[in-house]
Parts: sequence; structure tokens; C-alpha cells
Amino acid sequence: MRELLDSGLTYEMAARELGIRPGLAYMIATGRPADDDSAPAQDLFEPPAFNPTRNEKVIEWVRERARRDLGGAGR
Amino acid sequence: MSRRVPSPDDLPLIRQLRGKDKLGRGAAVKSARSEELRARTATADRVVKSVCPYCAVGCAQNIFVKDEKIVQIEGDPDAPHSRGRLCPKGSATKQLTTGTSREHHVLYRRPGATDWERLDLETAMDMIADRVVRDRRAGWEDEEDGDMLRRCMSIAALGGATLDNEENYLIKKLLTGLGIIQIENQARVCHSSTVVGLGTSFGRGASSTLPGDLQNSDLIVLEGSNMAEAHPVAYQWVVEAKARGATIVHVDPHFSRTSAMADHFVPLRAGTDIAFLGGIINHVLSTESDFREYVLAYTNASTIVGEAFDDAGVEGLFSGYDEESMSYDPESWQYDGAYVNAASGQRDQEGNVDRLQRSELGGPGGRGEIKRDETLQHPRCVWQILKRHYAAYTPEMVEAVCGVPQDVFATVCRLFVENSGRERTTSFVHGVGWTQHTIGSQYIRAASILQLLLGNMGRPGGGVMAMRGHASIQGSSDIPTLFDTLPGYIPMPHAHGHDGLDDFVQADSPARGYWGNMRDYVVSLLKAWWGEAATAENDYCFEYLPRLTGSHSTYDTTMAMVEGKVKGFFLFGQNPAVGSANTRMQRLGMSKLDWLVVRDFSLIESATWWQDGPEIESGEMRTEDLGTEVFFLPAAAHTEKDGTFTNTQRMLQWHHKAVDPVDDQRSDLWFAYHLGRKIRERLAGSEEEMDRPVLDLTWDYPTEGPHDEPLADAVLAEINGWDADGEMLSAYTELKADGSTSCGCWIYCGCYADGVNQTARRTPASEQNWTGGEWAWAWPANRRILYNRASADPSGRPWSERKKLVWWDEAEEKWVGHDTPDFEATKRPDYVPSEDARGPDALRGDDPFIMQADGRGWLFAPAGVADGPMPTHYEPQDSPVRNLLHRHQRDPARQLYEHEWNRYHPDPDEPGGEVFPYAATTYRLTEHFTAGGMSRWTPYLAELQPEFFVEVSPELAAERGLEHAGWAMIVSARGVVEARVMVTDRMTPLRVDGRVLHQIGMPYHWGPNGLARGDSMNELSSMALDPSSHIQEVKALTVDVRPGRRPRGAARTELVEEYRRRAGITAETGVG
Repeated sequence: MRELLDSGLTYEMAARELGIRPGLAYMIATGRPADDDSAPAQDLFEPPAFNPTRNEKVIEWVRERARRDLGGAGR
Repeated sequence: MSRRVPSPDDLPLIRQLRGKDKLGRGAAVKSARSEELRARTATADRVVKSVCPYCAVGCAQNIFVKDEKIVQIEGDPDAPHSRGRLCPKGSATKQLTTGTSREHHVLYRRPGATDWERLDLETAMDMIADRVVRDRRAGWEDEEDGDMLRRCMSIAALGGATLDNEENYLIKKLLTGLGIIQIENQARVCHSSTVVGLGTSFGRGASSTLPGDLQNSDLIVLEGSNMAEAHPVAYQWVVEAKARGATIVHVDPHFSRTSAMADHFVPLRAGTDIAFLGGIINHVLSTESDFREYVLAYTNASTIVGEAFDDAGVEGLFSGYDEESMSYDPESWQYDGAYVNAASGQRDQEGNVDRLQRSELGGPGGRGEIKRDETLQHPRCVWQILKRHYAAYTPEMVEAVCGVPQDVFATVCRLFVENSGRERTTSFVHGVGWTQHTIGSQYIRAASILQLLLGNMGRPGGGVMAMRGHASIQGSSDIPTLFDTLPGYIPMPHAHGHDGLDDFVQADSPARGYWGNMRDYVVSLLKAWWGEAATAENDYCFEYLPRLTGSHSTYDTTMAMVEGKVKGFFLFGQNPAVGSANTRMQRLGMSKLDWLVVRDFSLIESATWWQDGPEIESGEMRTEDLGTEVFFLPAAAHTEKDGTFTNTQRMLQWHHKAVDPVDDQRSDLWFAYHLGRKIRERLAGSEEEMDRPVLDLTWDYPTEGPHDEPLADAVLAEINGWDADGEMLSAYTELKADGSTSCGCWIYCGCYADGVNQTARRTPASEQNWTGGEWAWAWPANRRILYNRASADPSGRPWSERKKLVWWDEAEEKWVGHDTPDFEATKRPDYVPSEDARGPDALRGDDPFIMQADGRGWLFAPAGVADGPMPTHYEPQDSPVRNLLHRHQRDPARQLYEHEWNRYHPDPDEPGGEVFPYAATTYRLTEHFTAGGMSRWTPYLAELQPEFFVEVSPELAAERGLEHAGWAMIVSARGVVEARVMVTDRMTPLRVDGRVLHQIGMPYHWGPNGLARGDSMNELSSMALDPSSHIQEVKALTVDVRPGRRPRGAARTELVEEYRRRAGITAETGVG
């Protein structure tokens, strides 16, 4: 584990290499559970988070609205 | 798959004895079955980021989804504001959203029918669209006395505080396009007074700070708020402050868990907080304990008021009162030689326009030159006026009015003074205990005055923290499903003969400050709504906005319903048959409708009153005689739709859809969009002028999924705004008045900057400072603590190292610090505007209240508040005590409604005054939510708080023969309810005006439907409103209490009538 982390891998990447959950990788490396206050992020002990912040369909629609409503180029 | 050969080690005892774990403390004792168990959170396919749908703390949630089913909902530990915590309601959201209590199908009640029938969703939507088109036409008003109205008064809507911002936006846009103005939501009945009070004092009608900043307070005064129970997750910051050494004071009629954690609990009589706060103001003024440098630089203390102003005096009437209309003309409250607009409250009135028309005032912007006396000695300067006004609020008076002993009061005064100034700060926390009064706006004003005098605004650990109670009630104020505002607190135009955009902007935008750019905000909004149809030639369709002619609040709409003027009514997640004042009047109003649409999770009381309401049982109404058609449309939950909630700290948080809604369950976004689509299809090709506003609306949102759900992302993008190149705008300062920008809500501009949904940002708390500036997005411009320019002295240096927040960096030539500066980033502290500067340019470098017309905090409000420029004590509408400060017993400008079901109580010293001898107050419980629609049907929550109860002191129990856990009936001139008795010293008898006064307390969540059933407290309350905010008074009333259960059937009404006879109550009672 230490070797993998020293080589620049994140906990998630190291965990994938070893076939274990990221939280366990964190615990092996630090001796602390991944859900305590000082843990870097909950991605270590939970399934992948769904939190997209960009929607290309909306961006396209905005351009069309701008072109029509504001008479702009709608780049 | 081959089966594993069993081994002796499968037995825990063998494994324990054979292995290293001889004491059986670990894995040795785990059975094979336990070994195979996996946490639902670990085996889920994904975690969807979300937000709790209950109160306005907005706790972040993780929704665990497996096989497209929700398997668990937990708090998100990364969130800076909630830190992974959820209260009992938040913890029950899986049951709320996936349980069996939700309706899945459309239900329809025909006129006169005794039961529901099923209807398919498409047919229901078509029927509703048909009714809107028909009744809009029948109820159309084009003009009145030559003034343009262009509105429809036959359709109304109520609800929005539990909806997403995007849903409120489409509802407001569609209904306004249809000319409907009677649009209201819970924000009216919860915190509208906060908007007026804070808005007129500081410039923005929202909380100035965030719960997380309470940890920096040296003193926290919670008054009108039971934060530990109503907002438990936010209360962690009060506890955090206490752990850091802060002092906690709780002032409330009712001892609660908030009081239990406080250093000082101060019981006071319900409805007397202005007397209490006025006493502290008097203490600060008379001892000159104010933060003088702050006061001189940042408040209007030195401003000279016009000669025409007269204080309220013994009579209790400020200058400008008109007895016949029970209202004030506020012109005499203006500054000497200058006219200033309010940033909030009463705006776009006839007077504003007239005053400007005949004004001969010179100076910058044509609004006059503000005169000041920096020595504070001028007899008409605000400081001296304030000092004279509050001189009567002595400790003796506070004791006599509030029942607070003088030594306790002295302690509170000392704590305020000791914990304010350069090195220390005090914060106020309030909830609806302050807002829901006939003079609620002035409660907030009183706290605002105190915070300005003590220099606590805009600073860490200071401010006024308004605790709002619904997931998006702040949002439903910002993007208002409210009658009197447009998005971003732009006033709805009134009908007054000055109909053009120029007149409107001229009347409502001040010469100085950011409201001076109001034309940019209005034109960009009109472009967002009417797109290519909005041109410079047609005033950007400004004429399309329907006009107001006074108050059209939800209570005015109730009366209009009772009078048969309203034909159709939409309820969006709101339950007025339980949650609004005088629920009998609410049901009576709905019984006069032609049609009613209820969108909710379950069959709330507002959906079933025709079948099983109290008036059916009493025989006052007969189901077969009731002609109201009722459509019940099941709503989607927050887990089933995308969108934003705006929480109590002005923070917009995006919640992602975790799963699709099933059967007929749909979002309100879907409902508003498809209803609009169907209405527009029916009106297509119309040549009539009245149809142009709805046909010209921009209504082409992209849709997706099996139900053609509009993209909430697209709606949020429209709210944010874009320029002609289709680039998303990043700040409201980019808006233009020439039609080249579009923006649906100027204060939300920036929430979609760079094409990124900023409201979905989720940087963990551990990676940022306490303001949480990288978690989601807060209005305005992601500023977390408002007016933070005031955290530095006029020269731009922090008042103290300990309380630094933002400051001027001379090397960088800009404002820097721990928060986004609430100030023009590069405006120097020593900037002095030129004579002809306007708008933001006219603000000095040391004017921290940038929305105000004079850049200052208002100790004295020359405009915006309907019942006086300074708060003064009046008794509640129904009070057991005479007013010791003024001859006028009650707020002379309060809003009353005459109806035989809405009678008021006699004055305490009049004959009959003794019939209702006890003061009553109301509150919320942790386990229930407002009118119960999201908690009384949820088994966990219903079990935790199963029954309506009344809290009485042991002394009152002895006086009235009440037994703990027995029954009591509580009676007012409006109704009678029964409740379980809780005898407890949490209710304290007070010594008031020389006698012992008993108070009782009641939670207000119950109604006759659901799993936890009981009478509704609001059967007792009356419709009596604050004139500025139109909020009802339900935090202080009077009642009688007696042992036993209430009568059933007709005898219930007879009992109330007998009380009314005994008290000699008529239509004239209590209206003087």
C-alpha cells in the first residue's frame, strides 16, 4: 500500500490496484477509519457520487435562446 | 455455484477459542450470516447528492441508490453547514419519499359528490387547463377608473416554500403571464415580516449571516426562536459557540430545549418583545454604551428628519395617520430636504410617484441633499428622536409590560453591552416567534436598531440570523410566489396612472446604491420572460405585468373566496385548512370555489374538507351541497427531481434526481410547464390583447425522460441569465437596461456562471474556511456575510484583529478577506462620489449598506414600514393586558377582516374582557413539520409525536382543574379545540401589570387527517395582520381553558357562540 501511495497513486487508485475498497486502503495506510473527521473525503468509503455540474444540452439551448431573444450571435 | 463445505470455524465459539481473539471482542464472534451482511450504503450503485426537504437549514443529504431504488438517505458529512447531521425529520426522509403514505394517482371529486373517483393524469391536466382559460376570461379586469389593471382576479394560488426555485419561477412566470396576481406562499405567513424589517433596516430582507458564523459570537440572543427544536442541526453552531466561551440567552414565553442549553432563560409575556428590545435600546442610548464610531459612520443616527414628523407620544400615533383608512401617509417621516426610497417593504405606492412628480428637491439624482449633524445634538437628528422615543422604555416599564424582573433585564442589558464593540460581537437569532404578530415587522426593526447601535452588523459573530422554516422559503421569497414582488424583490407595479417603465423605475429606484440600477434588473427580467417580444419600442413588455390595487395577500384572497369572487385555486404543497390563521375561514373560502387543485403527497385536510372537515361534522356544511370540483394531483418528492432549494442563509443548493417518480406523481416543474403548454395551445391564434402576455412568454424549455420533464438546469440557467452571445452572466453588475441581457432573477445572477451549475458545488468543509464559500452558492454574488464592509472601519482596517472579516489591501488596491466582499471590490475606502454620480457610483467608500438609498443602516426608517418609522409597543390584537405605553391598545394600522366567523376579543378592561383570560402562544416540534403534510403521514414521526397537546403551568392546572395527560378544551371567539394536557413548569406564570398572568403553549401541526390526528390550533386564531408584511398574528392570542373534551357536532359551534355572547362580542369588538 505504502509503495503504491509513494508512487503517486491516490487512495482510490491504490485501492483499485489491490482490489479493495478505497476506505480500507485509507485505513491500512493511516490506521484511521475513512469516515472520521480528518478523512480527506467521503469518496473513500462510499459508492461513486453523482454530482454533475455541467449540462451541454442546456448550454446549447441557452445559445439558441440568446440568438433568438437578444439577437446575438449565440456563439 | 458449488456450496462451501461447512467448517467448525463457522461456529463463533470455536473460532474464538481457536483464534487469537480469546475474549471474543472482534471478528471471532461474528456469525457466518453476519459476516455476509453488507451495509446498504456499501453495496449501493451510486450516491446522489441532495438536500433535506424539510426546514430551511438545508442539511445536505446523500441518497444511496441500488437497482434504481432508494435504499438509504443519510447526512452528507462534507457539508460545512450541517456536517453530516440530520434531525428526526431529515432522518425520516427515506420513509417520507419511499413509504406507503404517498398517493400515486390523480383523484377527482365532482361537484356535489360524496367520494373521490380516479381520473387519468392527461384528462385532469386538460380539465384544469380548460377551467383556467374559461375563468380567466370571465374574471378579467382591464382597467379601473382609467388605471390599467390587465389582470385576472378569479384565479389564485398558494404554495411554494417546499418547492424548488425553478418550480416557483415557472409558476410565477406562467401565472403572471395569465394576469393572475393572487399568488402567495408560506413565506407570507412565516417570515414576510423579516423581509420588511431587515430589508428596510439594512437593504436586503434576508438573514445577514449564516448559522455557521454563530460559532464566532461572544453572545447569542435567541428570541422568538426555539432553535434547538425547530432547527436542531443549525443549533450545533450555538453549542459550538458555547463551547468556545460564548454566553447564550434565550428569551421566550416557553421553556424549551433551546432554553435548557442557554446560560440565561428569560421568560416573557407573548407579544411584548418590542417593549423588551425597546428597553435595551433605551439602556444603550441613555448610558451611551453604543459603538459610537460605527454608529456615526454607518448608520443614519446623524441624519436630520423633516420638521413635519411627530413621534407616537402618549396617544400612540405617529404623524400622518388617517383614522378612516387606518393607515399612515409616511411623507412626514422623510429626511429634512431629501426624499429616500426604501429598499424593501412598502414600495411602488401612489405616494412615491406623486411625491416625485411634485418634488422640487435638488441634489444628486434629484432626490435632495441629506443633512447631518455629526455631533448628534440637533433635536431632529435620528439619534435624538430615537433617544426621546425610547425614554419611556424603562426597566420598570419592561417589568410591568413583559413580566421580566428588573434584575434579569439588567443582566441582559449588561451582556449586550459587554459583548459588543471592537473586540466582541453579539448575534440575534429569531424565528416566527417574532414575525407572526400584527406588528411583526417592527419586532425585526427593533432588533436591527439594537444591532446597529452596538455595531454588530456585517461582522463575524454578529448580525441577525433569521431562522426560516421550509426548505426553500427563502427561495420562494427571492423568486416570489408572492403577490407584491417580482423576482429579486422588484416591486410588482401598482395601478396608479403612471404605467410606463420609466415612471416605475423613477418611482422605485433611489438615486444612490444598487437599487439605482433597477432598470437593468427589470429589463433583463422582462427579456427573460418575454424574449424577442420584449423590445425597446414596447417598453420591453412592461405593460404585460398585471397591476396591484392594494393588498392581495393570501388572507385578502381568503376573503375574496368567501365573497365568491375567486373561482379557481391552486395549492402547491400547502395546507391552509390547518396552517393558516382561522382555519374555519379557510375552509369556508374553499367551499365557495368552483374548482380546487391540490398538489401534495397525501390527502391533506385542504383536499378533503368537503368530505370530513369540521363543518361537515357540525352540520354547517353538507357534502352534497358543496359544488367545488377538487383535483388531487400527487407530487414528486425531492428525490425524484432536480432543482435548487435556497436555505435560511441565502444558499442555493442543487439536489439531483435519484429516481424517476412513478404512476401519476410529477414535479411541480412538470405541472407548471405542461399546464402552460396546454393553456397556450388553447389560446393559440387568439387576437385578443389579454392573451398576448401568455402567448408571448418564453416557454420552450428542453425536456427529458419518460414524463417529458423540463430540465430544471435550463430553468436555473434562465434565472441566472445570459448575454447576446449566449455566455452565462457571472454577476448582476453585468446586466444591461438596453435589452442585450436576459436574467430571470438579478440577485441569483452568478449561480450558473461559466456554464457551471455553481449551486451543485460541494467542496468539503475540511478544505475551506468557516463561511463555506465553496459549498453551493449564496446570493448575492456568493457573499456569505452581508454588509461585511462594516467589519472594517471607515479607513478599511478591521475594527479588531479578533473580528476581522474583509479589509482594504492597499498593495492590491482591493477589498480582500475571508468572505467575498459585499462591496465594490476596487472602490477605495476614501472614495467620495462626484456631485452628479448616481446608483452604485454615488455610494461613498465607507457606505457599507449598499442597497440603501443613503448607504447607511436605518435606525429610523423614513420609508418602507407601514406603521411607523420606529418600533413602538402595541398589544396584540387579542391581549389580556392593557397597553401601558400608549392609549392605542393595538397597532392602529393593522389589517383586520370583518366576518362573523372572524370575531376579535374585547379589550382586557372592557366588559367581556375576562372571558378569555389566558395568553396563548404557539410553536413547532422537532418531529413535525408545519401543517403536518410531510410528517403526520410519516409513521416514524407520527409515532414520536402522536397527539396534539397543550402545555400549562402547575398553577394554572390547579386554578382550572386540569390534569396531566387528561383532556382540556381551549376556546376563542373563533373556535374550540381539545388537546391532551401537559402540566409543566416550562410555562411560567408571570407578574404583569401588578397581577399574575398565565400563559399556555400549543404546537400547531395537527389536523384530523393522517396517522397522528388532532385538532388544529388555528381553529382558535384570527385573521389580523401586520400592515407592512400582511402576516397573521398567531404567536400571541387569548383563550379560555377548561377541563374535558370539546363538544361534538352542532354543540361545538354552540359552545363558541355561547362564549361570544358572554363576552358581548360584535362586529365592532376589538376593531378600534
